Amino acid sequence: MSSASDPMILKLEDVLFSYSRKEPFIEGLSFSVGQGEFIGLLGANGSGKSTILKIGSGILKPAAGELMLWGKPLHSYDNKDRAKLISYLPQTLDVSVPFTVKELVSMGLYPYDIRPVITADDALEMVGLSAKADSHITDLSGGEKRRTFIAMTLLQGAGLLLLDEPLANLDIRYQIELVRLLRNLRESRNISVIMALHDINIAMQFEKVMLIKNGNVLGVGRPEEVLTDDSILKAFDVSVRIMKHPGGRAYISYEENF
Amino acid sequence: MKTRVLLLITLFLAVIAVSLFSGPSFINPFALDETKKVILISIRAPRVVVALLMGMALGASGAVLQGILRNPLADPYILGISSGASLTAALGIISGLSFLGTFTVPVLAFAGAIITGGIVGMMGWKRGGLWPERLLLAGVGLSFLFSALLMLMLSVSTNEGLRRATLWIFGDLSMSDWARIPYGLVFVIAGLAVCLTRAKALNALILGDELTHSLGFEPQRERLLLFVSVGLMTAASVSLGGMIGFIGLLVPHIARFFLGSDSRALVPASAILGGALLCIADLIGRSLLPPMELPSGIVTAIIGSPYFLYLLRRKNVLSV
Repeated sequence: MSSASDPMILKLEDVLFSYSRKEPFIEGLSFSVGQGEFIGLLGANGSGKSTILKIGSGILKPAAGELMLWGKPLHSYDNKDRAKLISYLPQTLDVSVPFTVKELVSMGLYPYDIRPVITADDALEMVGLSAKADSHITDLSGGEKRRTFIAMTLLQGAGLLLLDEPLANLDIRYQIELVRLLRNLRESRNISVIMALHDINIAMQFEKVMLIKNGNVLGVGRPEEVLTDDSILKAFDVSVRIMKHPGGRAYISYEENF
Repeated sequence: MKTRVLLLITLFLAVIAVSLFSGPSFINPFALDETKKVILISIRAPRVVVALLMGMALGASGAVLQGILRNPLADPYILGISSGASLTAALGIISGLSFLGTFTVPVLAFAGAIITGGIVGMMGWKRGGLWPERLLLAGVGLSFLFSALLMLMLSVSTNEGLRRATLWIFGDLSMSDWARIPYGLVFVIAGLAVCLTRAKALNALILGDELTHSLGFEPQRERLLLFVSVGLMTAASVSLGGMIGFIGLLVPHIARFFLGSDSRALVPASAILGGALLCIADLIGRSLLPPMELPSGIVTAIIGSPYFLYLLRRKNVLSV
């Protein structure tokens, strides 16, 4: 999708990060995200997917290395300015207060002082929740709650979305619709997305995936190159077989019943 | 929404007027003689102002704390601020300290509140920021300790101060005068101003620190700012007239029933409802059995709790 001449939105170079003082959790992490690029982030539980997304969004600060957003150090941005360029959506969405769906979505406008290009109603329509605008967020199902937060992220209007497991607890229909919606946004607004994923079959449909283990990148590139029987065994410690449909699309198959 | 806001403001103004002109005796504002003027200006007005300030501080603080601690059961007293204030105030009352005249007890209470708030803040501090769970647990732990010390002090003391100390603990507005209002006013107005201008950040904090950051705020900075504001408002409130239960915990929920959860509406609405409720409670407390006064904190809870329970049943709000 992107070539070397594309301007890099986000660039991490030799990043070092540790949660405790003893040993680094992530060492020598380097990757970049170009405009319009979609990257699927894969790895076992605890492999560092969320940590990488949090470093990329500026929530966690690396101990060493370079972290550039549009060619300028990420941590030198003003909070509001950064929020107009990057938005991050965590995996657990836990709200104890009964905000209405529309109130919550409208928070996507907090970084702005001017009227938005799209409104909260537009964003709700995009995720198919117009009918629930006045419902309380606490009354929604897990999937509806996630779509509400995605609508908020869309309204925030950043060009780079870092999404931690956005497909978790979504029906297959909304999994497909969300990926489709993000692709449409790439067409219309040239957004870039890094998305942590669990489903290898969905990852197969990305143009670019990044496989990680213990905070190290095992491979970056096209899914059929990165996601092989061997690399999956290495990353997930489980034996699988990557098969190919007659049409050419790869999918995962388990060797034994379980 | 607009009608509800207007209704709330009308209610607020009506409560102020009723509190000023009625009481143990009714004062006709259109037929004032000298005595009545004095009663109105030097006794009733400062008392109404103190009730408003305290109620507003507690209502707004409760709404803010439930947000920053991400816990609908949080109230300004859960941070131990009130038990710290009660301990120092009771110590002053029982031992008969009067080094600052009538200001002795309020100053002692304020100092107790600030010191306790500081300790809770320090215990809630880790890795360069305040953490909600740590704050809550530190506050609860310290509350138990200070309450035990207070009970110990009350149970061994025999003098006249015991009754006064008990009254103060349950909320005593009878000592209200103009002299102490400016100090309370400064803290309450400043605290309210900070909370209102940071209402968007407060909304974001309810969604968690990561989303707060993603929406362009510094979560730890916002939480610290709001914590300090709430601490100062609560300390000012406790030092003005003792402990008033109910308002900080339940008024934000009542406000939420009417105006929703957006902090930009919820914080001012909780302040207004808190002020109005304490005014009414104080009016009832001083009018019911004159010349005896019932502590306002007790009246607030007695009239507020059944109403809250009624709302809970009728509105069937299980999500809060």
